[in-house]
Amino acid sequence: MIRVRVPKTTALGVGLTGVGLAILLLGAVLGIWRSASPTGDGDPAHRLAAELRCPACQGESVADSRSPIAAAMREAISTRLGRGESPDEVRTYLVQRYGVEVLTMPPARRWGLLLWAVPVLALGAGLLPVLRAGYRSRRAARSASPGRPAGRDDRAGVRGGAAGDVAGQGRRAGSRRHRVFAPPSGSRVWNVGAVAVLALVGAVALATPGPQTPPGPATSPDPVPAQLALARSMEQQGQYEAAAEVYRTVLVERPADDVRLRLAFILIRLGQATEAARLAGEVLAHTPDAPDGLLILGLAQRESDPPAATATLRRFLTRAPDHPAAAEVRRLVDSG
Amino acid sequence: MIARLPPWGPDQITDEGRDGVPRRRPLPRLPGIRRRRLLLALGLGALGVTGAVGMTGTGGTKAPVGSPGTPAPALRGPTLAGEPFDLAELRGRVVLVNVFASWCGPCRDELPMLADAQRRWSERVLRVVGLAVRDSSVAVRDLLDQTGAQDLTVLPDPTGTTAVDWGARGVPETFLVDGHGRIADRVIGPVSAEWLDRRLTPLLDP
Amino acid sequence: MTGQVGTWALGAGLIATVAATLLWLRLALHPGTPARAARLATGAGLLCAAVACGALEWALLRHDFGVRFVAENGSRRLGTYHTVTSLWSALDGSLLLWLLILTGYASLLGRLGQRHDQRLHQWAMTLVSVVSLFFFALSHFAANPFDPVHPVPSDGPGPNPLLQEHPAMGLHPPLLYAGYIGLVVPFAYALAGLLAGEPTRSWLRAARRWTLAAWACLTAGIALGAWWSYAVLGWGGYWAWDPVENASLLPWLTATAFLHSVLGRRASARSGWPVALACASFLLVLVGTFLTRSGLVASVHAFTESTLGPMLLGFLLLTAIGTVVLVCWRGTSDPYPPEATPPLSRATALLGNRILLTTITAVVLVGTVLPPVAQALSGTGTAVGPAYFNRTAVPLAIAVLALMGLAVLLPPSGTRPAETARRSVAPAAVGLAVVAVTGLASRPGPMVLAAFGCAGFTLAATAAALARRIRAGGTLRTARLRSALGGSVAHAGIALVAVGIAGSSAYTVATERELPIGQTLAVPGATVRLAAVDRVRTGSGMTVRARLTIAPSAGSPQTLTPELTYHPAQDTTVSVPAVRTGLLRDTYATLLAVSADGRSATIRLAANPMVSLIWAGGALTALGGLLALGTAPLTSRRRRRTAWPGRPLTSRGRHRTAWPGRPLTSRRRRRTAQPGRPTAGTARPVPASASTPGAAE
Repeated sequence: MIRVRVPKTTALGVGLTGVGLAILLLGAVLGIWRSASPTGDGDPAHRLAAELRCPACQGESVADSRSPIAAAMREAISTRLGRGESPDEVRTYLVQRYGVEVLTMPPARRWGLLLWAVPVLALGAGLLPVLRAGYRSRRAARSASPGRPAGRDDRAGVRGGAAGDVAGQGRRAGSRRHRVFAPPSGSRVWNVGAVAVLALVGAVALATPGPQTPPGPATSPDPVPAQLALARSMEQQGQYEAAAEVYRTVLVERPADDVRLRLAFILIRLGQATEAARLAGEVLAHTPDAPDGLLILGLAQRESDPPAATATLRRFLTRAPDHPAAAEVRRLVDSG
Repeated sequence: MIARLPPWGPDQITDEGRDGVPRRRPLPRLPGIRRRRLLLALGLGALGVTGAVGMTGTGGTKAPVGSPGTPAPALRGPTLAGEPFDLAELRGRVVLVNVFASWCGPCRDELPMLADAQRRWSERVLRVVGLAVRDSSVAVRDLLDQTGAQDLTVLPDPTGTTAVDWGARGVPETFLVDGHGRIADRVIGPVSAEWLDRRLTPLLDP
Repeated sequence: MTGQVGTWALGAGLIATVAATLLWLRLALHPGTPARAARLATGAGLLCAAVACGALEWALLRHDFGVRFVAENGSRRLGTYHTVTSLWSALDGSLLLWLLILTGYASLLGRLGQRHDQRLHQWAMTLVSVVSLFFFALSHFAANPFDPVHPVPSDGPGPNPLLQEHPAMGLHPPLLYAGYIGLVVPFAYALAGLLAGEPTRSWLRAARRWTLAAWACLTAGIALGAWWSYAVLGWGGYWAWDPVENASLLPWLTATAFLHSVLGRRASARSGWPVALACASFLLVLVGTFLTRSGLVASVHAFTESTLGPMLLGFLLLTAIGTVVLVCWRGTSDPYPPEATPPLSRATALLGNRILLTTITAVVLVGTVLPPVAQALSGTGTAVGPAYFNRTAVPLAIAVLALMGLAVLLPPSGTRPAETARRSVAPAAVGLAVVAVTGLASRPGPMVLAAFGCAGFTLAATAAALARRIRAGGTLRTARLRSALGGSVAHAGIALVAVGIAGSSAYTVATERELPIGQTLAVPGATVRLAAVDRVRTGSGMTVRARLTIAPSAGSPQTLTPELTYHPAQDTTVSVPAVRTGLLRDTYATLLAVSADGRSATIRLAANPMVSLIWAGGALTALGGLLALGTAPLTSRRRRRTAWPGRPLTSRGRHRTAWPGRPLTSRRRRRTAQPGRPTAGTARPVPASASTPGAAE
């Protein structure tokens, strides 16, 4: 039958359990107290940085971000804290520069107020009716306690009623007394209306994005820009040989002047002046007075043929006196 | 005995027909609806009040440091060439402060343009000052040599704290300081030749 | 050609879903007509979605760059796996996957759901068809991936590099979508209950299994996403309270609360909670979709630059207004019935958890939505970051954890203070001991200690409750035991996740330094030596790898190779960390930079303890959901039998099926009125007479 395992609850057992729990509770309280007390090893600068948002990144804190500006902000935080400023002062200093957005925990002002009001309101809205219901039920229980047997009789009546009620729910949906929506009038009207809607949607769907629509914005991602970007980044990292190789591949696919000039420029850096001169020559063959072509040809000729180089560079200067490199070239020409 | 009570209240019992006639409830409006409406009204009211607070209480937030119209923060120290520099001494001159670094590609691209601007206008009216953020002086010198920008005044900022002082958000970033020591404009990201023309010309050729 | 097929499939799908909507609506209004045509139309919708998906997949695999989506997201350099998964790597393609899953749910529901109340089912199908109709329209008119491109490029850039780094790409989005979209079913049933004028809980029975399935998928999807960001993003974290992460958490929270409001056998039987939670879950799915796809928030995961924003917002607002109007108009119940739930009962604990979960949802929602709204309305930037959520949502979540343990200790109804106290001793002792030991041995902070303590308490209470059930299992029906097992496993999973999160946030140690080749870098628990730096030119870009050997390795030396890959097509550099997962702690290395001469590298090394607990806990939680899926919709298998007339007779249910369509509510009432009937939670064998209505009749 009913197995109830009741351990022997002697007074001694209860007492021992109580003592054991009390000791554990004491230990837990001690642990929490020890853990909550300010520790020496926590880095205040890191803590402050962790609650600031890196202005150059997406959703990373200043403490986590690898962006240089975050590193600079970390540096500024530790310098200022080291100078004896309080964390609040440092926070104000940064808010003055990067706006309130820099704080991941907005202050409870203006919009920030909502952030703190919502949890309280939500919790209150959930709890208040519960408390009220509890109060009501307690009052009801108190007032109804003598009449409880009558309540039972009520229920017996409900039972019978509900039984017949729910029994019908399965299949006899049509005989519902509570027809919720009546169809407009007759099913023929309904059918015609439905077909009309369907036809309309069909017409719209098939007509709108047909093949005659103008093609979308010409997004034509082709590999050349990607390779150019790669080469450029290699160039910036000082890997000129690798970059030159990439430029050569690009040149096969797209024999354009700007690529030729870029490659020639690198070749000059690598000391392969002859090939650079040849490339610059090709460019000049298309557009005789292209300033960049002249510049690179001139630079390439400086090793092999200094007088020709000076002449080419002078031509370059007359062609493009405002070129970014003009000043330097002028110095070169004047000195040599 | 509370446990034996049925899980519904007395009002519902009477509602379902105490006479035992099987009767579906005609979807009555129970007090819960009214309460829900009340809650909704309360919520909307709270929202409205907070919104109003948010709209009106604009006092207290000033324009951040570094934004146009504010006085330029201090900028002083030895330049890369070893000369002393102080922005405060340049009152009456227009100063272009360019925050850059050698490891940043767009900075490399815009430096020739800035150097060109410095050459175009004399140092008496315009100073272009570079702030090299978290960078070694060797790398910066290399960069200046490669881009033909040796004429620029460059202040090293190895820790980046000066850039933070200015409220810089990254590299490159450019501040235009007018003759009164106020920030006239600020560009986050690379500047364009068109911007230089548009902003510098009215300040320099009145 | 492929593009044409896809566009036509989308258009046909639109027509099919319009037809399905009309047909199901007609059925709901004119009951009694056969549902065959409506089901066929729903199936046609699925077919169209499948054809559209197939066409796009075909175009991707064939590198048909004349199709816009392929031109924007395909690439010849990608392997087959990432080509297949690039279907959902960008907005338009992911909408097709969304459509496929949605129409799949619709067809399944059309076929399986009819076992329940017909009218309920027809109204639910009407609503699901409306939702499918909207998404077909969205895909067809606003985000058609099949638009032709002129001139046809020779190659494409490929998907976002971050999405090319991890195999989870094939699993995480589909799972997340399956979870997300599955929540349309409880929503449809809740509204169907209102529309059909059902004052009973029959819609809850119908919706519970679907919700469980969706919830399990969503749980797995969220856990997988966290693992993915841990393994790819390189900062060692797994959850950043990023708007898009929050968007996936929000419906999970309300769906969890919904599942528990279905569980509560008495307290919530007639309350408005289930309707509110079911509707809220789907509305939050729409909110999440809007956040992710409108470009409203900047996030790592968000699809940017979308023109769908207004359409989605319109649909969201319409749905929200429709739901509110319907609930206010036809809502039948008091959200807090003045029933007498004794204060110390499981029902109270469940109600408390519902309130807490709803509050967490409100907190996360306001924290996610406020910044863009404030920006739009007043132009001032407000940022809400982890600090806010950690101070608001996390304490509430710890309270939920504690209540989880308490709920299984308390009797389902009725007060038995002595027995409850006796049962609570062991779990309380475990919780307190955990707090005492960790608090005295280390200083993780009060919040982490509370999480540890509550998790210990809940784990012990869950284990004890399960053990009680198993001991009593001989006389209980196995379905009930399985249901209890599912719940226990899911709860244990959540507790493990809590331990993992608390532990890893408190005890992670990290250091970073520029390291010349041959030197070592150490944190407590991990030491690595930089063996070499390799530069490799891969197909599309360039990769730099740092080879790190884990120094004190017994046996074969183990290496970690974090890498830095430059993707020229997107001009971005992606840093892929290397992780060695251990039982106690992970060794996590990230390559930050490499010197120009390749003689040294800047390495970040971290020892992240207990992280694997999070993944294990997530898997357990999803598994728990699946286990519970195999059990009865409400409380026991017998009741469901009676709810489904026409089920085959089994020896067990014989006397029951003789009374098809028996009133469930009345039986439950009688049960509660039966004096001396033991409650299920006390795990005592149920006397046969108490559950046999035939005897009483």
